[in-house]
Amino acid sequence: MRNVMLAARNLLRHKRKTFAVLSSLVIGLAGMVVFQGFLGETMRGFRDSMILSGLGHLEVAGREGYFEDGEYDPYGYALEGSEAISARLGSEPGVAAVFPQAGFIAVAGLGEVSTTLLVRAYPANRMHLSPLKAEAKAPIDRFTLGALVAGTPIRDGERDRLVLGEASARILGAKVGDALTMMTVLPGGRLAGRDFTVCAIFAAAGGDKTFAYTDYASAADFLGIAGPPVLDVLLKDVSYTGEVERSLPEGVAYRGWKDLATLYVQVNSMLNGFLSFIRSVILLVTLFILANATNRNVLERMREWGTLRAMGTRRRDILLIVVLEGCLQGLAGASLGIVLGFAVAGLIDVAGGLGYSNGIQSYSIMVRPGLDSVWLNLVPAILVAGLASILPGIRALRPTPAECLRQA
Amino acid sequence: MALISMRNIEKRYRLEMADIQALADVSLDIGIGERVCLMGPSGSGKSTLLNIIGCVDKASAGRTIIDGEDTDSLSDSRLSDFRNRTMGFVFQSFNLIPVLSVFENVEYPLLLRRLDSRERRRRVDEMLLKVGLAEYGRRSPERLSGGQRQRVAIARALVTAPRLVIADEPTASLDHTTGRAVLELMVEMNGKAGSTLIFATHDPTVAEFASRIVTLSDGRVVADREVA
Repeated sequence: MRNVMLAARNLLRHKRKTFAVLSSLVIGLAGMVVFQGFLGETMRGFRDSMILSGLGHLEVAGREGYFEDGEYDPYGYALEGSEAISARLGSEPGVAAVFPQAGFIAVAGLGEVSTTLLVRAYPANRMHLSPLKAEAKAPIDRFTLGALVAGTPIRDGERDRLVLGEASARILGAKVGDALTMMTVLPGGRLAGRDFTVCAIFAAAGGDKTFAYTDYASAADFLGIAGPPVLDVLLKDVSYTGEVERSLPEGVAYRGWKDLATLYVQVNSMLNGFLSFIRSVILLVTLFILANATNRNVLERMREWGTLRAMGTRRRDILLIVVLEGCLQGLAGASLGIVLGFAVAGLIDVAGGLGYSNGIQSYSIMVRPGLDSVWLNLVPAILVAGLASILPGIRALRPTPAECLRQA
Repeated sequence: MALISMRNIEKRYRLEMADIQALADVSLDIGIGERVCLMGPSGSGKSTLLNIIGCVDKASAGRTIIDGEDTDSLSDSRLSDFRNRTMGFVFQSFNLIPVLSVFENVEYPLLLRRLDSRERRRRVDEMLLKVGLAEYGRRSPERLSGGQRQRVAIARALVTAPRLVIADEPTASLDHTTGRAVLELMVEMNGKAGSTLIFATHDPTVAEFASRIVTLSDGRVVADREVA
């Protein structure tokens, strides 16, 4: 206790000097907290937009193979008892919506022009198109498939309507109200054909070249399937994922959002690695600065070490005092840095966040560092500061007390 | 009976490729309650001898027995405990810990002894009263005069009731009047406690406070006499 007291008092002995030494740690960690908050919020937004743009929090299929080659094969992977599974999942407290999905490949033709489309079908009330260039605010119980460029989305009860991607519409020369002839191959090689009316044209970053959407009932009828190959599950929050996964009936195959949003997982892991690298650089710089400052400090206080040892303080206690001082410096610097980081993040949030637009939709990215950024920065900073003090501490205890007193 | 028994003490330093003989064949017995003044010019070996007696330095050769302990055979941590248990130090530059208050400076050696807080407070209050600084407990040593600081240092040296008090040039940083006052206090408190006092000085007026004067020159004891 006496060592902690001495260490703490010494830290406050030269406040300006201490602060000057700690400034690199304070500024570095404040920047880290803000950057971490920015990236965290960006990645959360990226994750949620990926989930809500058609991946879902969970996809429940009849067999494992669906996830390998069944996405656009509605015949090979029918999900038995989909209605019962849907009802069971729907009663889970964390579930926002459960609905069927079917995907198929079709050739769409308009006059002399034709193109291949990947068509996804959901119930009409589970498809959402946000206003173009407006701030994206996706409802949590449906997929936001992109921004509405023209027309109106499919309404409940409407049949054989198609929401067509902007690029596809351009290729086909299609506009709202045009009837596209859609052809697809049924099991056994038969061809099915039907006219779908373009009710809306949408834009989505990268997704409007090949995709088109129709309502699930029309698709099931067109394809001649009795039930969906897959159910999409949307949750109120990602934290319910595990709980809902555990409530799934036995025998079904499923994928959670982490398996589905592979791009998010890869980018997130890359950015986390990048953050760890930056944090390591900051801590390494701090290690050298602190080691150098502590070394000078220890040499300046040789008489003090000699006096303490003459009075009976053991060598190990001298080392402990120096290392404790280092740890307390780390604690003080990291705490100040974290507080400053949270303050800056708060100011950015109050100012409305950082604006971003991909040309189709705009976003306000908030800077909200999580509580994990407290210990992620605090613990390494304390350890590094303690580590930086070990060698100077050994330097303080190596001479005899008489040598320490003489060096004064 | 001798509290300190030193036989054939030698101390050599190596300084820039040259061997310096700081002490040569010093043998000395110091009894309980003696007030010994180590005198001699600068470089005569006073401080080196005081450091060896105070167990803050080791002799290159010879044997030192203090209070029945062969100090050369003690490990570093046992030597630390031994110093805390047996000795009190008064330094020329006071050597108070600047981050501790007057009270805490005096209390520090008692903390090392792990005495309970009530006992520590009792002893520190008593000692500060004796040195006339009862009102200054909360003050920082940096806000005290030189004489007051040295009185704090004396209180710190005596608070553990050590058998041996070692003072290296205790008045060198003080003016003549304050120096005498400090020495009078040291001698008086030492006399009451019955401890042995060894101090080094090159000032003959300071030596008046000793009961015995040991004179050193070039690392050797050249005179050792009792005084009235």
